[in-house]
Amino acid sequence: MARVFNWQLGREMSYWYPESRPKRQFAAVFDTNKCIACQTCTLACKTTWTSGKGQEYMLWNNVETKPYGSYPLAYDLKLLDMLNGQQWNGSKYDGQTIFESAPAGERVLGWRPEQQDYAYPNVGEDDCAGQVDTGAFMSLPHMNWFFYLARICNHCTYPACLASCSRGSIYKRPEDGIVLVDQNRCRGYQECVRGCPYKKVFFNPMTGTSEKCIACFPKMEQGIQPQCFVNCIGKIRLSGYLSRPGEARADNPLDYLVHIKKIALPLFPQFGLEPNVYYIPPIHAPVSFNRQLFGPGAGAAMKAYRNAPNDMDLAGLLCLFGSTEMVVSRFQRAGETITGSDEKGAALVRVPMREPVHVRPAIDAKNQLVRINCP
Amino acid sequence: MKYMNWKSAALPAVLLLSAGCSRQVERTQEVVAIAAAQLPSDPADGAWAGAPEHAAKMIPQDLVEPRLLTPTTAEVRVRAVTNGSEIAFRLEWDDPDLSDTPGPSKMSDACAVQIPEKIEKDLPDPQMGKVGKLVQVTYWRADWQASVNGRGDTIRDLYPNATVDHYPFEAKLLEKGSEAEKEMAKRYAPARALGNIRSGPRSVPVEDLIATGPGTLSPGPSLGAKGKGVHAKQGWSVVISRKMPEGLGPNQRTTAAFAVWQGGQRESGSRKMRTGWIPLLRKGQ
Repeated sequence: MARVFNWQLGREMSYWYPESRPKRQFAAVFDTNKCIACQTCTLACKTTWTSGKGQEYMLWNNVETKPYGSYPLAYDLKLLDMLNGQQWNGSKYDGQTIFESAPAGERVLGWRPEQQDYAYPNVGEDDCAGQVDTGAFMSLPHMNWFFYLARICNHCTYPACLASCSRGSIYKRPEDGIVLVDQNRCRGYQECVRGCPYKKVFFNPMTGTSEKCIACFPKMEQGIQPQCFVNCIGKIRLSGYLSRPGEARADNPLDYLVHIKKIALPLFPQFGLEPNVYYIPPIHAPVSFNRQLFGPGAGAAMKAYRNAPNDMDLAGLLCLFGSTEMVVSRFQRAGETITGSDEKGAALVRVPMREPVHVRPAIDAKNQLVRINCP
Repeated sequence: MKYMNWKSAALPAVLLLSAGCSRQVERTQEVVAIAAAQLPSDPADGAWAGAPEHAAKMIPQDLVEPRLLTPTTAEVRVRAVTNGSEIAFRLEWDDPDLSDTPGPSKMSDACAVQIPEKIEKDLPDPQMGKVGKLVQVTYWRADWQASVNGRGDTIRDLYPNATVDHYPFEAKLLEKGSEAEKEMAKRYAPARALGNIRSGPRSVPVEDLIATGPGTLSPGPSLGAKGKGVHAKQGWSVVISRKMPEGLGPNQRTTAAFAVWQGGQRESGSRKMRTGWIPLLRKGQ
């Protein structure tokens, strides 16, 4: 194995291949506080990419209710269990990644979901396990809260699917870091399904190959955000490109949220893949749970998010989420207006941070009428 | 790897399979392909009775990750027949657990015959060859056999209780069976659209492959591979045939290696049981 640097762990780690970062990295920020689990993203993806034979059970995008939801079943708990409790030392990970803890004869520490594990795509939906009036039926570790976790492929810097494939059928595009399964080369060994800790590679029994989220690369190549982003009702998503570590630009929305404000955090960084979908943690969930999912920066990120009303640049940038179909490469705030621009600096969208407020009195004095305000 | 001891290997041995077994099987230390006018295509063809059997000991693939660390198939029993231009192998191994349905975490039973592209003393690595030393692999799969045997190409053929609301290519505006419908169906089956021979309904349960080392397996030039597998209570009996290895004349030898995957044991790709190189003698005029 090679030694590579994983900035999310604050240290070097072992990986199957030497470090080879793309020119720029496809990345995304999901604001969990705004997700309403309407599953529009799920259907947008499903109807676009996975409506074929053998793809019936595939959800390249899914939204699960945490703490109990998962697809496939217990994908996260099983691996956390296999890792058997690991420790962070401040912002440095002292534990072992799935590459470093690979058993003899294996490339990564992984497991294969059984068919039944795919049978409950929305298990645990809205399950907060708490009853205010009569008391809870049973006592569970996480009471009276839940949040929605939308998931796609993380297009990891160190993909476990890619490392697992003994045929080299999976590749990471040098131009944008999108991870793809070569459908011509894949022979359906399902090692990638076993290796991916997020279980975002799916075996297609009708074609005999494995398939996964492609970050809608035909759209991204034209500067348009993926289907699950532009169809998001809650406007929780923003996609773009993350600069290499140490090269963060303050006017790049992704860099600003991930590297500068550190408000958006990777999902299960302790697995060691350097995933590139970043989450603004839910501010109403216990910080201990958020730390397990998003790493040691969860507490500070929650605090920063709560402080957004006093942080005009951050608040403005959050207003850009879902404001345009195009990929926003730069942003700039002027007063209470935030502007998103393309790579060349041409304005794509301008968003007011406050909507104008019109108050209509209940009595229309001019017409001597009483207005009825429908909810 | 050097050839085995040719003189001793050529001597046939007559063994009793087990105490109480009345059938006598002629076993050899090498695979001996006997000449026949017609190549048998069925594992039950009477022509196999005349061919001696080589019981090849199998070892787990434990050289490259991911490895198979727990041995499964102990041996594969091999017979061979040639009609002069083609050679057929019958591979038999114990595996009462039929695995011929693809799916998540479901692997298919399979087997393969590997032969060096060229007959030369300095052999390729028995494990998929090496750079500059190409091997030809003829590969058979149980799920392809099921497809050839008539299993349909729908999800309900794999999961009889499956319910599907709608496929875009089954929209009413597309005529059933039309080119337009097929074209649209391809859009939702990228591997088929790209012509991946691994994908889609099969006319034969085997494929011709080449390799120059682990992880390099690729579609190869056609060697006219054919095959047929039949599963019984004890296990599989599979016929794999292909063109005669280049330069292999009567009473000459090359080498062959064999691999077996038990789907029920989650064997797939490099997780397999394999043999080393075994001498392959073409008998006859």
